[in-house]
Amino acid sequence: MAVSALSRAMRAITLTGGCKQVSSQGLLCSRVVAESSRAPAASLLPSFNSAVSQWRGLLTTVCLEQNKTYWKVRDKYTIRPIGMKKTGGRDWTGKVRTHGIGGGHKQRHRIIDFQRLRYEPGNEPQPFEERIVEVRYDPCRSADIALVAGGNRKRWIIATENMEVGDLIKTSGVIGRMAVSAKEGDAHPLGALPVGTLINNLELFPGKGAKAIRAAGTSGVLLRKVSGTAIVQLPSKHQIQVSETCVATVGRVSNIDHNKRIIGKAGRNRWLGIRPSSGLWQRKGGWAGRKIRPLPPMKSYVNLPSVSAQT
Amino acid sequence: MLKTPVHRCSAITTGLKHLCVSNESGSCLLMLRSGRHGNRLLSTSSSVCGKALPRKKPREVVEISGLENISYAERMHFVPGLAKPIFSVWKPDFKDPFHYKSPKPEEMALYKDKSCYVFHQRTSLMEGVKQTLWLTKSKLIKGIPAQIMALADDPACQIENQDERVQNAIKHARFWDTTETRPPRERFCPTLLNSLLHLCGLQQFKHPALGERLLSRDYSLAASWHRGEDLIQVRGKNGMLLNSKSPLPAMADQEEVLSTADSFLETFYPIAPTIDLQNINVYDVKTDTGFREDYAYPHAHTLFFTHLKDGFLEQLRAKMVMFAFGNALARARALYGPEPQVLEKPVVLQSVATNGRLFQFVVFQLNTTDLTTDNGVKNLVWMEEQPLYDFAKVRPLIKKKVVQVPAGLAGYHPDTFKKFLAFYLHGAV
Repeated sequence: MAVSALSRAMRAITLTGGCKQVSSQGLLCSRVVAESSRAPAASLLPSFNSAVSQWRGLLTTVCLEQNKTYWKVRDKYTIRPIGMKKTGGRDWTGKVRTHGIGGGHKQRHRIIDFQRLRYEPGNEPQPFEERIVEVRYDPCRSADIALVAGGNRKRWIIATENMEVGDLIKTSGVIGRMAVSAKEGDAHPLGALPVGTLINNLELFPGKGAKAIRAAGTSGVLLRKVSGTAIVQLPSKHQIQVSETCVATVGRVSNIDHNKRIIGKAGRNRWLGIRPSSGLWQRKGGWAGRKIRPLPPMKSYVNLPSVSAQT
Repeated sequence: MLKTPVHRCSAITTGLKHLCVSNESGSCLLMLRSGRHGNRLLSTSSSVCGKALPRKKPREVVEISGLENISYAERMHFVPGLAKPIFSVWKPDFKDPFHYKSPKPEEMALYKDKSCYVFHQRTSLMEGVKQTLWLTKSKLIKGIPAQIMALADDPACQIENQDERVQNAIKHARFWDTTETRPPRERFCPTLLNSLLHLCGLQQFKHPALGERLLSRDYSLAASWHRGEDLIQVRGKNGMLLNSKSPLPAMADQEEVLSTADSFLETFYPIAPTIDLQNINVYDVKTDTGFREDYAYPHAHTLFFTHLKDGFLEQLRAKMVMFAFGNALARARALYGPEPQVLEKPVVLQSVATNGRLFQFVVFQLNTTDLTTDNGVKNLVWMEEQPLYDFAKVRPLIKKKVVQVPAGLAGYHPDTFKKFLAFYLHGAV
């Protein structure tokens, strides 16, 4: 009697879950069914009762859904640090995708605003200044971060080498005829900077936020400016061509002695969340060792009109 | 026993192929394989060991206005070829508080296009007192007005055995109030404040006018004013308010008030003075003292705050000034009307805040309710900070076998309580 009641309850669960009928197909993973008829993820949380997980082979656990990074979902920007859930190198299926990640000190994520040229809602699109309120260590990256305040808002940005509390930094999107005398920490479009300046936090596409040169102590060099595009040398000596309206910050990224640090012991690596590598001897397949080869051709992130389009 | 799951699995593999793509089957069979009870599926075919490929994005459904969507909604079951029906959201016609979804801000009754900046109990101003001076159009004077200092030094106003009784109160709050080693700040700070207020209140036999006072707490204040183009509001519960039947006399005379017109308000470019205030579009413009109009004690006398965080004293002082201003503005509007004007009889409000050891004294004199422009007569703020005692340690601080700070109460400052008492007696002596 309890069994029949349970079976009735099981059928009820599958019906209300919005899944298709399972009776004809016997063994069916409810997770697959849930995914195929998927609405926003939130409606299918929390998971079904796992106490009846192996009932007639009907797997009702949706525990793998919990491997999704739901803590990252946040639409409003905030300077408050957010609690992170560590993945241990596992992906949404639960298997290890990247080895050597796991453990380490607890970290809180501070949302960094990589789009430096972001005007305050309600303000006109004009160059603006901000004041540095605090420069601090960020556990989630090698560089230090700075809390800057301007107008009515505060945000976190990647700090440059000599940023001090109380400095004023300028952000502008204007490209004038004359090159601007670049002050460290200011952000200008590449077209406004003189050739040869050290830059960091470079945008690859205008307005999409800084993607390149964000690590501690790195800096790129503005090599030349050619007809609406600018050519930059990245820290890996690769050269790229980007639109001259892409905004970059002037100077080197903070924490310049990051590459000179000595870990000292295995424990410190474990504190950083780096697990030991496999001890298995693996025959070198040509991947190890120093390679000396010519630079790859310059990558262009600008869609220049091709010859065929003109004809 | 073993065979059954394998057969079923093979059936499913074929069955599932038309349900979902092959990369899906890999992941689902992976789940079946390593479940809670171990490996149930012993097959080692490639479909089971496959890597979980990333999911493909679902086909984008294009909506063409004017074209009617023929869906299988009427048939009540899936029909291949017909569109998936999109049902409208069901709105229940009954009220269920556990499943209540609040409307969007734009749909709320009090939504306004122009936003407003609100200061409340939880606000922590970045620039501290400088910001409040701009927001309340005030001028800061360090120190306490001479009238209250005279009261503090007057020996006739002292309590008998004052120092001993205050030290007892401190020891009670800091050491004796709990069976544990030391009470936390959330406990000793309000206990100390209540003990000191009780001590002051006992003087009613000497000064009968003290009977015309009433201490109230948990009242909600509302005050709103325009500062340039921005609307700024002070809302919420403040702290304990000592009400009295008679108003406090003005601290600064007319000449000093008029001379404040020459002082300028400090701005801190590039930061706006409204930073850290909650910017909100759903608000009600109202000025409310928190008490009814026929309340027997209409004049606010002193605001008491307890600060239960360690540090953040600048933000505490800013909070004191803002709430003192809010209360004063609400009372002034109730007395003299909502028109912005320079007050002939300034409204004076005192404020005392403590974190258990340090006492912040603030006297706020509201001279004008004309706050739209930056020039003109300004309001006045007197401010002072003093410790009541230096250390109240449970265990002595010993460095290199030398006692630096002894256990118990150390470094008692009698002036602080004299000022506290003067603040209390002011207006009734």
